[in-house]
Amino acid sequence: MNNLVFGKYIPIDSFMHRLDPRAKLIGLFLMIAAVFVPKSWWVFLVIGLMLALALLMAKIGIKMIVQSFKPMVMMMIFLMVINALTVKTGDVLFTVGPVQVYSDAVFNTLFVIVRLLLMISITTLLTATTNPLDLTLGIEWILKPLEVIHFPTHEVAMMVSIALRFIPTIIEETIRIMNAQKSRGVDFENGRLAEKISAILSLIVPLFSVAFERAYELADAMEARGYVPGAKRSRYHVLKFRFVDYLFILICVGALSFSILSRFYL
Amino acid sequence: MPIRFKALSYIYNKDMPYAHKALDSVDLDIREGIITAIIGETGSGKSTLVEHLNALLLPSEGSLEVLDYNIVAGQKQKFLKPLRKDVGLVFQFSEYQLFEETVIKDVAFGPMNFGLSQQDALKQAAAALKLVKIDESLFNVSPLELSGGQKRRVAIAGIIACDPRIIVLDEPTAGLDPKGAREIIDLFVSLNRQLSKTIIIVSHDNEMVYNYCDETVVLSHGKVVYHGPTMELFDDKKKLKEFDMLEPQIVSFRNELIEKGFKLSKDARTLKVIAREIAGQVKR
Repeated sequence: MNNLVFGKYIPIDSFMHRLDPRAKLIGLFLMIAAVFVPKSWWVFLVIGLMLALALLMAKIGIKMIVQSFKPMVMMMIFLMVINALTVKTGDVLFTVGPVQVYSDAVFNTLFVIVRLLLMISITTLLTATTNPLDLTLGIEWILKPLEVIHFPTHEVAMMVSIALRFIPTIIEETIRIMNAQKSRGVDFENGRLAEKISAILSLIVPLFSVAFERAYELADAMEARGYVPGAKRSRYHVLKFRFVDYLFILICVGALSFSILSRFYL
Repeated sequence: MPIRFKALSYIYNKDMPYAHKALDSVDLDIREGIITAIIGETGSGKSTLVEHLNALLLPSEGSLEVLDYNIVAGQKQKFLKPLRKDVGLVFQFSEYQLFEETVIKDVAFGPMNFGLSQQDALKQAAAALKLVKIDESLFNVSPLELSGGQKRRVAIAGIIACDPRIIVLDEPTAGLDPKGAREIIDLFVSLNRQLSKTIIIVSHDNEMVYNYCDETVVLSHGKVVYHGPTMELFDDKKKLKEFDMLEPQIVSFRNELIEKGFKLSKDARTLKVIAREIAGQVKR
């Protein structure tokens, strides 16, 4: 449970951590677009180098990025197999049993995999360097234009931030209840199906009751402090764009332009 | 010695930028058959320490002997179930672990996991519930219908029913009213005195520790800074100051009486005994 890396915030101080969350969000969208547009390996190389530089500035070890790939391994293998079976263009590279594997199959798959890895790395970079609450403020800001059609941006942002806020709490509770049940002889890893079901029940039932209790407490605490849904609120923490934020967005726009142009000229 | 920590360290989030050493080369022997308290400020490593006792956490470095089990850093453990049967761990706010439809079924859950037949498990559960003074009329109601103190006692019964040799309680009285807390204290004292279980209690409550625990371990920043008889710790003003701990009321009272010229024996540690000893010395 503690090894969950994807989406985990790393609370340290770095250049990337200090960037405005809105700038990072816009940057994320631009960079993901930049990863999906090109057909050339050169663009991936450039984006990869930019990413490496950003990781360096975020003080995030390569180890964490590699760990965030782990959940994707199965999918990549699946992709590889399907492509090997279906793509029949290019030269025959080698034969596995009755299946002839063509060069396009290998290169296409590698291309898609690199694309996915880049996308995961970029997303991990955002979530690792942005405090979840700042992230929600950023999302709220980006959704602002939708208020014209009466979209409840603030409420949605509040819900998202509460959900994010409670992920670590719920994980903590889960670990505690699991430990308590393990102390009563529950084995969460091994056992027959019936034992597994009873093990899961012994975790889920208490978890639900805790979650509901927390929800009621939170609702009371919010009401006690005068929270009214939809009421106009001022902010303690006001986001401000600085020069580096504009610069950061500009660099991301540059990357996207490069990758769009690459489709015509490379 | 049933429990022996040997240069044991535990590191949370090892290999991450925010790795945190919760236990730092702890050497500690805990005696069998007595009540030992583990105290220390929040974050000093108390909970981490006790979670090693039934191998919920495995040491990052060093080793640990519990009863006949030997747990060494980096080795796979094969005896988790018997160890967890012999060392029962009652968690903080243990009432949240209740999940079965009825009180008695919940208490029988542990013994059944440890391989008892349903019949035997229910028998043990009934005995454990009796021990924690839960009335038979409550055996077949939902645990969610009980009061906070009752729930806590049912959760403790869930551990007692597994018949462990060592019972570890993490903050067993936290969040209970004085009467509820009192019942829990009486319970573990009688478990120790009558069934000669080894009891280990993690607590913030110095009064309770002073009144009921034979030995005390003080943790600070993941290190053991004191281990010895509880009385000696609380009589030592210098140590209390060093560990930033409050003197128990009874100790202050005793010291003030001695300052005023009353003669008290070394064993005068409760109000009753002190009252008896000074009664003859009071001028009418």
